[in-house]
Amino acid sequence: MKVTLISIPVQDQEKALKFYTEKLGFIIKKDAPLEDGNRWLTLVSPEWQDGPELLLEPAPNHFEPSKIYQDALMEAGIPYTQFDVDNVNVEYEKLTKLGVDFSVKPTEMGTVKFAVFNDTCGNNIQIVETL
Amino acid sequence: MSFYQKKLSHIQSVCYSNEKQIESIIETRHYIDNNFEKDLNLDFLSEIRFTSKFHLQRLFKRYYGLTPKQYLIDVRIEKSKEKLTNGMTVTETCFAVGFESLGSFSKLFKTKTGQPPSEFQKEQVSRSKIG
Repeated sequence: MKVTLISIPVQDQEKALKFYTEKLGFIIKKDAPLEDGNRWLTLVSPEWQDGPELLLEPAPNHFEPSKIYQDALMEAGIPYTQFDVDNVNVEYEKLTKLGVDFSVKPTEMGTVKFAVFNDTCGNNIQIVETL
Repeated sequence: MSFYQKKLSHIQSVCYSNEKQIESIIETRHYIDNNFEKDLNLDFLSEIRFTSKFHLQRLFKRYYGLTPKQYLIDVRIEKSKEKLTNGMTVTETCFAVGFESLGSFSKLFKTKTGQPPSEFQKEQVSRSKIG
């Protein structure tokens, strides 16, 4: 067995696609139509295109418990998932200029530096730099 | 302050309050990053940090989640991928990243990446031709 996919719940796949590609810089790996306008939509990092795929999953629109869980995490400020970056400060400056809203500014803790932003699709996302 | 921020603050005070110790372990990691091709071992690393090797091993694992030796192997494998992609031969790569035996390098490389170094290199070369 291999770990190849991370799924993230999004309330609007098209909006999520725009945010994750235009603001965060991910690229589309797979985009296949499913039922009722839903898509199997996965993204990868441009610098690691063989790496795990990020599935933008419209679960909150179709499965109430998913929406409840997502809303609860958002309210508590808890990140749904996290991505590694080389430099948190650089990403923070870049994303802030693009209008991305951070709930936790770059913060050092132990051997990492991290920050948390809102992906506008219902999730907090953490970026992490290993010190 | 969100639930997540309160939780982080608690973790900080319980797990990461010893700043000097953390700084020392971060410096050890940076030393490994900058000297991965040399004959590094715990005795040597602990000498430069003025500590015992068991203490260093325990602290490194505590703050990074893996031992210095495991970390060094990961760094060497990542560097070897770069060198193989850039066209260096498997044998040259093995010694350039600090391994002393071609057999153990090939075996570790396969365990970590899923394919032997020669196959990895062939794949990278054919991809660059397609690209």
